[in-house]
Amino acid sequence: MRNPVRTTVLAVLLGLAASQGLAQGFKPTRPIEVVVHTGPGGGSDVLARAIAIMIEKEKLLPVRMQVVNKTGGGAAVAAAYLAEKAGDPHTIGFFTGVWLTTPLTSAESKITLRDLTPIARLVLEPAVIAVKSDAPFKSLAEFIDAAKKNPGQLKQSGGSITSRDNVVRQLLQKATGARWAFISFPGGGERIAALLGGHVNMMVIEPEEAGEHIRAGNMRVLAQVSDSRLPHFPNVPTLKEAGFDVPVVPQVRGVVAPPGIPKQNVEFWEDLFLRLTRTASWRKYIADNQFEDGYQNAADLLKFYDQFTDRMRDILKDAGVKTVR
Amino acid sequence: MEEETRKSGDLWSGLALLLLGAYIVVEASRWEYLGTDGPGAGFFPRWYGIAMGALALLLIASHFRRRPSGQSTVAWPRIRRALGVWLALAASVALFKPLGFLLSFALLTFFIVAALYRRPLRVAAAVALASAAGFYLAFPFALGVALPVGALGF
Amino acid sequence: MEILSGLANGFAVALDPLNLFWCFVGVLLGTVVGILPGLGPPATIAMLLPLTFHMQPAGAIIMLAGIYYGAKYGGSTTSILMNVPGESASVVTCLDGYQMARKGRAGAALGIAAIASFVAGTVGVLGLMLVAPPISKLALSFSSPEYFGLMSLGLALVVLLAGRSIVKALLAALLGLWIASMGTDLFSSTSRFTFGRLELLSGIDFIVVAIGVFALGEVLANMETQEETQLLPVPKGLRNLLPTLQDLKDCRFAFLNGSVLGFLVGALPGGGSTIASFLSYGLEKAVSPRRDQFGTGVIEGVAAPEGANNSETGGALVPLLTLGIPGSGTTAILLAALVLWGFKPGPLFIPENPALFWGLVASMYIGNVMLLILNLPLVPLFAQVLRTPAFVLFPLILGISMIGVYSVSGSLFDLGLLMIFGLLGYLMRKLDYPAAPLILGLALGAGMERALRQSLMMSEGSLTILVSRPISAAMLSLAVVVLLIPFVGRFNAWRVRAIEQE
Repeated sequence: MRNPVRTTVLAVLLGLAASQGLAQGFKPTRPIEVVVHTGPGGGSDVLARAIAIMIEKEKLLPVRMQVVNKTGGGAAVAAAYLAEKAGDPHTIGFFTGVWLTTPLTSAESKITLRDLTPIARLVLEPAVIAVKSDAPFKSLAEFIDAAKKNPGQLKQSGGSITSRDNVVRQLLQKATGARWAFISFPGGGERIAALLGGHVNMMVIEPEEAGEHIRAGNMRVLAQVSDSRLPHFPNVPTLKEAGFDVPVVPQVRGVVAPPGIPKQNVEFWEDLFLRLTRTASWRKYIADNQFEDGYQNAADLLKFYDQFTDRMRDILKDAGVKTVR
Repeated sequence: MEEETRKSGDLWSGLALLLLGAYIVVEASRWEYLGTDGPGAGFFPRWYGIAMGALALLLIASHFRRRPSGQSTVAWPRIRRALGVWLALAASVALFKPLGFLLSFALLTFFIVAALYRRPLRVAAAVALASAAGFYLAFPFALGVALPVGALGF
Repeated sequence: MEILSGLANGFAVALDPLNLFWCFVGVLLGTVVGILPGLGPPATIAMLLPLTFHMQPAGAIIMLAGIYYGAKYGGSTTSILMNVPGESASVVTCLDGYQMARKGRAGAALGIAAIASFVAGTVGVLGLMLVAPPISKLALSFSSPEYFGLMSLGLALVVLLAGRSIVKALLAALLGLWIASMGTDLFSSTSRFTFGRLELLSGIDFIVVAIGVFALGEVLANMETQEETQLLPVPKGLRNLLPTLQDLKDCRFAFLNGSVLGFLVGALPGGGSTIASFLSYGLEKAVSPRRDQFGTGVIEGVAAPEGANNSETGGALVPLLTLGIPGSGTTAILLAALVLWGFKPGPLFIPENPALFWGLVASMYIGNVMLLILNLPLVPLFAQVLRTPAFVLFPLILGISMIGVYSVSGSLFDLGLLMIFGLLGYLMRKLDYPAAPLILGLALGAGMERALRQSLMMSEGSLTILVSRPISAAMLSLAVVVLLIPFVGRFNAWRVRAIEQE
């Protein structure tokens, strides 16, 4: 019955399997490529570089992180690039809401976040609704009333029609029946310049960007687009507190990996970013930029995709944008 | 001779641009011209498409107004040579994916020096090697600029 | 007085040996990445960002700014020597710079580019120092209707860039407008002219078209024959390699024009160095007594745009430092760097960080001097490039063009586009269509469409907004005047002939 050879082979195989399990499978051996969809200086690029610096400082990775800018097509080029890297354990990407909305409006953009491996959601960016300090509106209700009295005559500056700026406008318009114009500007600087120059009446702006203009007395904040009051704006009502019960659509940032990577690899990334969000450098970064900690693990992130996509589809349809998916 | 090239070129390029203008206007008609808040995506293309068509017609008309002077001598051999260079260039770009920039560029250089400038093969090989090596040293090596990498890993 | 004491403190910061060293590192790196096409200041600054965390903020901002304005010096080199625009702002430099090189005056062109950069760069810093607050107010009063006026004025320059046929120049400009509108429309998310390709969703990069049409088109045209006449003669002797006194005299107005226009356009958040360089070239040509020689290698045709794209740097720092508003890719990453170091860029940045601001200003004076000293000796060296035999030089230009494009986007698709635009450039040359209007239409098209649509949204559809605001009305009327210039010239010629016949 006993076959010594066979037993030995079995033991060796078992031993191998056990030792592999103990070693946790994956250790990066060459620099990690971090794919972002903006050029140098864009939102994702800056976040990716800041995280690379933090990970190096906290010694969370044995190798360097290298930011790769794959710009173009909203986020379509970056998403397609990640999809092409299927199975590559040394590549990750930083996504934003654009990665979910671009496929909704552009038939050309065939890769959605669902085609990539979810890792973690990291940041939620709240926003505030700001007007120039010499504007007659003291509260959001006053602005809405003025918009109702003169439909289409008040103006808001913002990004593209699929941006969060316009989403907030659509939701408020739908809830109140007021109507005002939305003027798109490609650069954040031009949007602020249009407001400060008095060419538009209102804008949705990131709290960190607005902070200095408020301090210098050039801007006033009417309401904040978040669920609870931000630490730097204790006296400004949230949308709900201001009497407008509309859903808060966050600007979201997180991490994805190429499709088809091994399970240990997924666990490695999940673990890395969970540990990152617990460091002191991360907490300081979040506080300095007035972000909200939006950590979610991969399983929750999948649910978030659907929730976000469904809501965006409805909002875009209301805004008269043709959706293709 | 050059004048003649230009004249028949006016006709054909005018026709091509007329077609392009028509294509732009047709495409633009599918997009919103005026929306509730202002001009839509089709506003600007419609107008420059129309302008392109009109100017192309003007160009074609001026070709027929001028009396053609008879003998037409386009310098075809020269154009064929330039198009040959272009084809070689396009082929080398197509080879970036399998061969990578350095190898593909060295092949292109070799071809240009040996076939188009008729230099001895060893000169061509030397120029090709030296320029590929120079590009490698300047870009990926010294400056960290990534070049297209082929299936062979360089 | 306040300015003097601020400047004194600034020089104390900038002359600190370590800061002096960082300033030198910055301008040197800037010169290098400026010379290489494609690889630009934003990517370089992004790469160096982690390094700056181990530095004092003053040294860090001095170095990063050095990269920014240093790159503008180097940008002209490949434009002049190889007709390969190093960055979008040096496209205009190709027009007369490359022609000068073909006539054996490469050294003079490179030299005047460095000198114009120095003069205008210094004027830009002076502007930043003296008039930043009022200029930033002026920039805020500039909105979409004014941008539409500015872009229309820019596009009207087509008639000045036209060769023999104005119709062909206009057609080339319209082709540029068409290429500019490819991609996803910002206002409606409509995909326009994308041919189902996701790579085209955000349009075609400017530099791909510029390098294709200028550099590849030129190489293909030159390779039509195997003859190896010394295409680009290089004179011997150092003296013949630098601009003469007469050259400097010819450029007097160009220095002033480039400095002022570049600074003003740079201060606009929606401006940019490409528009600044085109406008100053156009202005230079419009007022020049030898207008008809532009495009054949006129030295002020190099000095004006090169000056403009350097003083643009000083201008672009105005909204960044006085308002925290970035106007371009490079200022956006400078802004990000300031935030990462723990500063709060905004209206209170200068009053609260005077040492940093004045240190930066002082370092920019020093950096411009360093750049002049660094660049002038390079001129004879670079001019030697043209001694290379054609069968080596042309493959080299092809390689540099391809790397230049690839280093911008890292996309093989863009290299495919480069081939298409190379062929287009060659055909345009053969069919006598001028290339500059195409580039002008491409550079201005997207901004012009945007400004028009934004204006009409602001006015709820009424076109009067374009003429009821003084600045936009002035610029639109100026555009009409520019459009009439060739007709005036023709009328004059006709009149002269009529008089002679009598």
